[in-house]
Amino acid sequence: MKKTVFYHGKSVIIAIALLMLLTASAAANAVVPGISGSTFNLVAGSGHFDTPDGDSLLLWGYGNQGSSAQYPGPTLIVNQGATVRVNLTNNLDQAVSIVFPGQGQVTDPVAGGSGTPGLLTREAAAGGGTVSYQFVASQPGTYLYHSGTNTDLQVEMGLLGALIVRPTGFNQASNRTAYGHPDSAYDHEYLFLLSEMDPTIHDLVDFGFINYVDNAEAFPVFWFVNGRNGMNTLDRNFAPWLPYQPYSALARTRPGEKVLLRIIGGGRNQHAFHAHGNHSTIIARDGRMLSSGPGAGPDLAVQDFTISPTPGGTVDAVFSWTSRGLGWDVYGTPLEDFPHNCTPAGPDDPVDPNTGEDCTYHGTPIPVTLPGLQDLAFGGWYSGSPFLGQFGQLPPGEGGLNLNGGLFFMWHSHNEKELTNFDIFPGGMLTFVIIEPPGTPIP
Amino acid sequence: MKRYRLHLAIPLLMGFLLLLAGLPSAWGVAYVQCPEDTDGDGDLSNNADLPNVQCMSLTGGDGWVTMADGRELYIFSFSDVSAVPAADILDVGVFRANSPAPTIATRQGDELYLTLTNVGTFNRPDLFDPHTVHYHGFPNASAIFDGLPESAVAVFPQASLTYYYNNIEPGTYMYHCHVEATEHMQMGMLGNLYVDPIQNQTGYGGNPAATVAGKEGGPGPYGYVYNDGDGSTAFDKEFPIQLQAFDHFFHDASRDTQPLPFADMIDTYPTINGRGYPDTTLATPDPADGSLPGKHPAIPADSTANPPQPVGSLIKINRATEGTRILLRVSNLGVVQHYTLTVLGIPMKVVGRGARLLRGPGQAVGENVFYDTNVVNLGGGETTDVLLDTSGVAAGTYFLYATNLNHLSNNAEDYGGYMTEIVIQ
Repeated sequence: MKKTVFYHGKSVIIAIALLMLLTASAAANAVVPGISGSTFNLVAGSGHFDTPDGDSLLLWGYGNQGSSAQYPGPTLIVNQGATVRVNLTNNLDQAVSIVFPGQGQVTDPVAGGSGTPGLLTREAAAGGGTVSYQFVASQPGTYLYHSGTNTDLQVEMGLLGALIVRPTGFNQASNRTAYGHPDSAYDHEYLFLLSEMDPTIHDLVDFGFINYVDNAEAFPVFWFVNGRNGMNTLDRNFAPWLPYQPYSALARTRPGEKVLLRIIGGGRNQHAFHAHGNHSTIIARDGRMLSSGPGAGPDLAVQDFTISPTPGGTVDAVFSWTSRGLGWDVYGTPLEDFPHNCTPAGPDDPVDPNTGEDCTYHGTPIPVTLPGLQDLAFGGWYSGSPFLGQFGQLPPGEGGLNLNGGLFFMWHSHNEKELTNFDIFPGGMLTFVIIEPPGTPIP
Repeated sequence: MKRYRLHLAIPLLMGFLLLLAGLPSAWGVAYVQCPEDTDGDGDLSNNADLPNVQCMSLTGGDGWVTMADGRELYIFSFSDVSAVPAADILDVGVFRANSPAPTIATRQGDELYLTLTNVGTFNRPDLFDPHTVHYHGFPNASAIFDGLPESAVAVFPQASLTYYYNNIEPGTYMYHCHVEATEHMQMGMLGNLYVDPIQNQTGYGGNPAATVAGKEGGPGPYGYVYNDGDGSTAFDKEFPIQLQAFDHFFHDASRDTQPLPFADMIDTYPTINGRGYPDTTLATPDPADGSLPGKHPAIPADSTANPPQPVGSLIKINRATEGTRILLRVSNLGVVQHYTLTVLGIPMKVVGRGARLLRGPGQAVGENVFYDTNVVNLGGGETTDVLLDTSGVAAGTYFLYATNLNHLSNNAEDYGGYMTEIVIQ
């Protein structure tokens, strides 16, 4: 057990370090990883992925042609108005398909027809069959796609993924919005696709007893964010030690920046996704902005600290963190030891737009005395200092996972049973956001 | 010779440690920080009065509760020791966990100094679990006071940590321990927390003095849920309704020092504020002996001042003297699943969720996105503010219950669990 913890700690450090090295020259804003364009060639295949409790489970997943199957499938990123074509090749031994909830009419782009008839949609036959789908991505937003064949089993096995439709006029450098309206603008975007698995089902399929699978008896004991269990959720995108689970769920931002959360209920159960740190403004549900009318923007948005997408539903929310109203100076006091300036954004807004500091409390010391080191247990992501961007004294062996003195806040399922990996706490449906000091390179 | 001594030393050391953890310690002293404690004696009952400073002192530890079918469950939770001098907390505060944890009620503009003293787990001296307070939903939190042990600090047994919260946003929140969250929350470290809006003190509209809330001694309605600017969230009586569910297999495993069943966790004892129906309808305990009427066994004499389940959830309003509008501050701190609540016969109006007024950012005062409903659904960690307008309702007894009907039970006993009564007079 101790060994596992140590390993995870090390891998997280390496992941964050690599992330920072790799991105020093990249864009200054986090983008959801995925494949962009209007034509996608997907392959349904299988693999075995490792769970943090030491198990290995059979996975069926969509993959980009030339790459392995993955969980979740590739995030498809398209532009509003595009005619999107998805060609699917099936390497599994049962028929497979894809449905695109929320995308209107899906047509067959192949002259003479593609695939074989199925109940919900046309299917790619077992063992190398192909099928093609075409639709117009008419509305921006966050969507789910998943298998439309033998759905209760195949989605449990991993055949699902996210679809992101960029609004008309979107520009990653100069016009980052979720829905075109300026009130849906953001600095960083992150995907949180929530799902769960029952290993009994995967083992039965793996060992050739597929006819014994009873989905009515399904009892999930693994919970995932972007196809990973905690703490693997914190590892970087495309970490080579997670070959079938390419997508990280770690969010990073700087004070005052807007973080777009694209949350998807990808499993059969509802999950309560709780964001520590601050409320989020829910600007859209199921790919539609919460708007009273054309041009009004998300004027019907409300704020919440826990967001529960329904199974198959999606929620877009904007999160931001400053020290507004904190009551003390988050950058440290006394000022001679922690020199920093604070300039209010304006007469009605005391928050410094560059640092997120509430100038009302500039120089105000933390109002309580923290107890001595011997009285406290320390978290690995604690820098040793309550101040943003600072480090402090920690007992030997404590801390060490916080490279920039950032503030770590957990984002997790608040149905807390789901913070486990098959009977082992902690894990499951949890990840973190890091409030990094101003100037920290992201992503 | 050396080996023999070593073998002897380990059980001796273990015995000493057990003794250390098991005895109410006379050696440690809680460290309570409160600006109102001007004489520094650690006694918060002889406060100087700083109107915007609120101090509260909690212990984190263990105790026992009794479910409505008579089953006793071992729990972890908090207990209010605000009136106990700091020097006595580690004696008095042991083994008196409350379910729910003591309610934290504060006001917008108030600074809350919340001291948590970990008194250890009397029944499990083998545990050295730290505890925290997670102020769930606190906006623009700092990591140090967020109570998440992974990202900051937790307090060890025999020690104290004072949290500081500057309450700038009103609403219905909740709090709980976040150490080994699944375990400590299943074990019961869950409580109600809400912040009254500044509108209670200031009033609203053209003649604000006329609308200052009754809670603040004004002539207006008893209180407002949010700073609505138009009185649309006014209420006459309020009831925190916190859903908490226990899995007795888990609690018994904890009591018996057995491996804890995380994967098999289910809700066998759904409770509102720590009690299943019909205990939800019982009054607060008899102050004379701490006992509850009905089938609760007598509570040990040493806990008369602190009965383990002090919160009744009977929703009762006398319309002739109290008014007609009931506020339900509903929160779910169950750890397994979402639940849906309904009220039979009284219309429900949802005015807030997640400690926020239901009003879009582009909307003027008076343009709310309140909605009328007969059900509210809450996952773990969600809150909903529901107003019940009883003005057109006949006098009588009505029911609030979970529409997850299989959870209207106290384990095997039916007509229990997530249900309470609403008495309209």
